[in-house]
Amino acid sequence: MRQPYYIQSANSEISCAGIQTIAQDELQNINSDDVAYWLIDMRIWTEGWEQLCKIRRNLAPAVYLKPVLFLIDSDTIPQEIVTASDGNIHRSSCDERILEDWVSRVEPINQWIEHLPNAKVGSDANIAFKVLRIITSRNVELEPITTIRRHSGYVYPLLEPMFGKRDTGVLETLAFLESQHLLNGRFISSAHFCSHCGSAFLNFKESCPQCSSDDIRSDELIHHFKCAYTAEMADFRTGDRLVCPKCERELKHIGVDYDKPSIVYHCNQCSHTFQDPKIMTACYNCGRTAEPEHQEARSILAYTVSAIGQNAADYGLDALFTNILDHELHLFSEHAFRDFYRIEMSRIERYKRSTSSLVMIRFHDLDKLYIKLAGKAREVFYELSTIFKTVLRQSDVITAKNETIFFVIMTETSAKHAERAAERLQEGVSALFENNLDFKPAMSVRIREIHPKLDIDAALEDFLENDN
Amino acid sequence: MIIEDLIKFITSLSPGQMVAYFWPFFLLDMTRYVFLDFIVIIFYVPRRILHRHKYQQARNLLYKERPLVSVIVPGKNEGKHIPKLADSLSKQTYKNFELVIVDDGSDDDTAVICRELEKQGKIDCFIRNEIRGGKASAANTAFRYSKGKYIVHLDADSHLALDSIETILLPFYMDNNIGAVGGDVRVANAEKDIVTRLQAIEYLKSISTGRTVSSEMGILRIIAGAHGAFRRDVLERLHGWDVGPGLDGDITLKIRKLGFRVVHEPMAICYTNVPEKFRILAKQRFRWDRSMIRFRVRKHRDILMPSANFSLTNFLASAENIFFNLVLDAKWWIYVVQMVIINPSLLGYIFLINFILYFLANVVEFIMACVLLHSSLRRKDYALAFFLPLIPIYTGLFLRTVRTYAYIMEFIHGASYYDKWNPWKVSRIAKEEKL
Repeated sequence: MRQPYYIQSANSEISCAGIQTIAQDELQNINSDDVAYWLIDMRIWTEGWEQLCKIRRNLAPAVYLKPVLFLIDSDTIPQEIVTASDGNIHRSSCDERILEDWVSRVEPINQWIEHLPNAKVGSDANIAFKVLRIITSRNVELEPITTIRRHSGYVYPLLEPMFGKRDTGVLETLAFLESQHLLNGRFISSAHFCSHCGSAFLNFKESCPQCSSDDIRSDELIHHFKCAYTAEMADFRTGDRLVCPKCERELKHIGVDYDKPSIVYHCNQCSHTFQDPKIMTACYNCGRTAEPEHQEARSILAYTVSAIGQNAADYGLDALFTNILDHELHLFSEHAFRDFYRIEMSRIERYKRSTSSLVMIRFHDLDKLYIKLAGKAREVFYELSTIFKTVLRQSDVITAKNETIFFVIMTETSAKHAERAAERLQEGVSALFENNLDFKPAMSVRIREIHPKLDIDAALEDFLENDN
Repeated sequence: MIIEDLIKFITSLSPGQMVAYFWPFFLLDMTRYVFLDFIVIIFYVPRRILHRHKYQQARNLLYKERPLVSVIVPGKNEGKHIPKLADSLSKQTYKNFELVIVDDGSDDDTAVICRELEKQGKIDCFIRNEIRGGKASAANTAFRYSKGKYIVHLDADSHLALDSIETILLPFYMDNNIGAVGGDVRVANAEKDIVTRLQAIEYLKSISTGRTVSSEMGILRIIAGAHGAFRRDVLERLHGWDVGPGLDGDITLKIRKLGFRVVHEPMAICYTNVPEKFRILAKQRFRWDRSMIRFRVRKHRDILMPSANFSLTNFLASAENIFFNLVLDAKWWIYVVQMVIINPSLLGYIFLINFILYFLANVVEFIMACVLLHSSLRRKDYALAFFLPLIPIYTGLFLRTVRTYAYIMEFIHGASYYDKWNPWKVSRIAKEEKL
């Protein structure tokens, strides 16, 4: 029987009677099968929020996927905070029955976590993957709510604690998952965002098309049928009546003796008269002013997990770049790579004529690239693979440790020449991103000449450990 | 054989019989439109040359003051004409003007065209009334948003000669009592077909010469909506235009009633497009002719009555128009009946001789127009002379028939109140109020 665990507050000794208490840094140490949900005390809701963030940002599926309930006292907690949990228990009604009731209510989530192949030992570093898994585990449609507390204006409460301050990353991660057909989007609303800072808080204002001042006024035109006199309503206003200045008749019924054919604007700065005011937007966050068409218009969607997404949530995201490289360059498995390495090392030792090099490449921030590019990631990775293909030769042996780390045996290539090749690779990658994407993923390269004394495992280990 | 008989018949007539047989021509039309025009023109042309320095002085004053002039163009579905109009305005010798266009509820792409021209700076102010209100309301909207000391009212399907704005303003600087100046209107599409050529001759006669003569006599009764200049203060006193159709003639009389002079300036030229089909021309004239009854006979009949504000020139301006157009319109039908009674066998000769007399009168009128306007006429304008033989048929039969029908319909049915030229909401009120 699973049971709730009360997360001990960092700044107080408060505990909850009858519930197991656990410290935040011990969450990974207990058997997740025993945990029904984490219960967070929201007496000081900012502290409670931090607790939730720590849980959701944990890499262990058995921790971050677990249901979280808030123990709340008041209704003053902001909506996007309250709805970030899987449920809320009011302190005044918190008793054993309620706690048990919640155990059974969150059981489907726990069962889903339980069926994951690596739930207990795995580590989900990819944020997109984590998002996919948490949505899948809840089996709900992820709906946004509006908020004034985030620049983006919309939040997906369940995901917020996973991202922290990078709130615009939420929308972009969801867009990426949708572009990969892992999520299905349903239109909720459309919104304009500042193309500079991403803020949804834009002031749409009418301004003078001549001098761009927003110090403008408008008035309705009135056409008096009898005498054809046409002027602004202010010209007709006499006290609380409308009287024609030309024939001095009182206007009685719109549509019968007068109508309002249009609206006219005046600029108080340059005296220009116009009917088509220029619409401008000013960002409340960064203050940048631009025409609406130069701001970013996005659809705000609610998301459900697609069938492919459910499968991916179980078994992991396809490593897109690795797949493309595999197709373009024929990646060898790490095991095969080690075999090749041994063969190459023996060959060098035997003939003592050849010089080959081991090149270790690591891309940093490639996950950011996914998020930034969303649906265009595939095209860019194809470009990237082309650069690999241009620099590397058919005789080179390449393997991928994961999506960001690549090892290459450059046969018959000295360390110096390998360095040149690595430089060309770096130049190609830099040119691709700088010229087209205004984004520069960091790339580190280490080159070692292959000789009998070089321990490949130690070399790789050293590269992985020290290159951060 | 016929010609011999015709000559024989003419030579057999004594001068008295000649007048008796052809009294409408000799006693009325020749006297008014040939003899009187001739007298006025032979004095006007040399005087204009002699007074060149006065025009130059006026021009100097104009450029010294350089007042802002508002060119206002109200219209519906006229977008296609606006670029050409704006282009002709951009080449004007007088540069200190603003162009104000009012779209009176167009249902074509007028608004799109005008907004684009506004962005390009070719239109200074464009107002679109989503709900159609009629020509007067659109003109008043334009007037409301104009800022100029002088207002030049143009039709959208017109374009101006390069010095037109400058020239139409000169009379204001020659006489402080001038409230409005009519510009000359010529036919832009004269070479299109015979219908437009006939109208081109008619415009030279009736507008260029006719209005110059009326202006000289102090009885000018209309400043064309297609091309007229007004003092802002005068228009402000009148609060702009009243409900039409015929609002241009109406406002001219109202300006006269205020005690201002109205004059015609034949050298301020505007070219306008005229109907290219007799059917459309008939509709246009049907509307124009009805307004004579509605405004001169009904609305402004007080001009004809003795009162404290009685003015002889205003009386003559209206009376001359009513007499020669309305009263004498009946003379033709009386004349025909008279000829049938006297001797029906002579009807053929009578018709032929009348045709010849009116043709000769038209030749004289055309020559007068050429003398008056020679500096502004183009070679193709002179070529219109080949169509003069058709003018007696055009004016004597076609226009007269349309006019007679218009008068009858207006007298009996008040047809102008049902004209789609105004939206029904306006016509209904005008009818109820007997405007």
